[in-house]
Amino acid sequence: MGLADSLDAYLVLSGILFAIGTFGFLARRNAISMLMSIELMLNAVNLSIVAFGSFVAALRADGSVIALMVMAVAAAEATVGLAIVIAIYRNRKTPLVDEYDAMRQ
Amino acid sequence: MRAWLYLIAAGVAGAIVTTPALLVFFLLGGTFEDALFAALATLMLVSGLMVVTMRDIIRCGLAMIVCFLALAGIYVLAGATLVAAAQVLVYVGAISVLVLFAIMLTQSKAGPSALVFQTQRAPATVAAIVLAVVIGVAVTATDWHELATRVRIGANEVARVLFDQYVLPFEVVGVLLLAAVIGGVFIAKREPDQT
Repeated sequence: MGLADSLDAYLVLSGILFAIGTFGFLARRNAISMLMSIELMLNAVNLSIVAFGSFVAALRADGSVIALMVMAVAAAEATVGLAIVIAIYRNRKTPLVDEYDAMRQ
Repeated sequence: MRAWLYLIAAGVAGAIVTTPALLVFFLLGGTFEDALFAALATLMLVSGLMVVTMRDIIRCGLAMIVCFLALAGIYVLAGATLVAAAQVLVYVGAISVLVLFAIMLTQSKAGPSALVFQTQRAPATVAAIVLAVVIGVAVTATDWHELATRVRIGANEVARVLFDQYVLPFEVVGVLLLAAVIGGVFIAKREPDQT
């Protein structure tokens, strides 16, 4: 069996999580829901990086280092993204992205 | 009466999480770690689905915390303990609180969740399923030349690599974080002349 000892299990898991995040990003109306979906996708990518790091001999600690960098960049992205959502909310009084249509008119 | 409902809900949630683990452990003959992996993976996927499908966005945020915690457990199983600790600190501790605060700042009473999804939810579902299947097929069909068993990566080893050959990216990420914090404060700041 060896579920915890196979790289494929981790990678398939990360693929499914990425697909869930994709669905959320495409389908939700709330801007913060979309940002949470992006966080899910970033976490899926991080899971695959960590899995490669602990299963591929040439990567070892590099995988962990890259995963930590991705985490830092994701934190920066979340900060700026949520600040933008709050700034838009202050102007438009709604968090729903399909009502942000100022550039369509 | 409501307490009973919560107890039943907790029981159902526990059964959903433990069933795959028991299946793996007893029927398929896996080790204890395999059962743990199955339980954590189920918890992560179920709470991830709850993040993208639930109507109440506060509950979506709380489900996201559960998802991140389960993912930290999977990092521990994979052998990357330092990344698991950073996951708990950064995601469960910081980003979740940031998201919850943003949710509380932007929820209006008017139309809370009359329509949760966009009109393109059916194509989005199809696209997500196709993406998952393609990734799964591609991953299982590729030979990664991986090791037969996973290696445990200690903090010492990570620190040696991080502060030796990755010093420049480390510093750049620090500057990026500073810029993002200043930019976030600047964007979210209320302008004095308006409102």
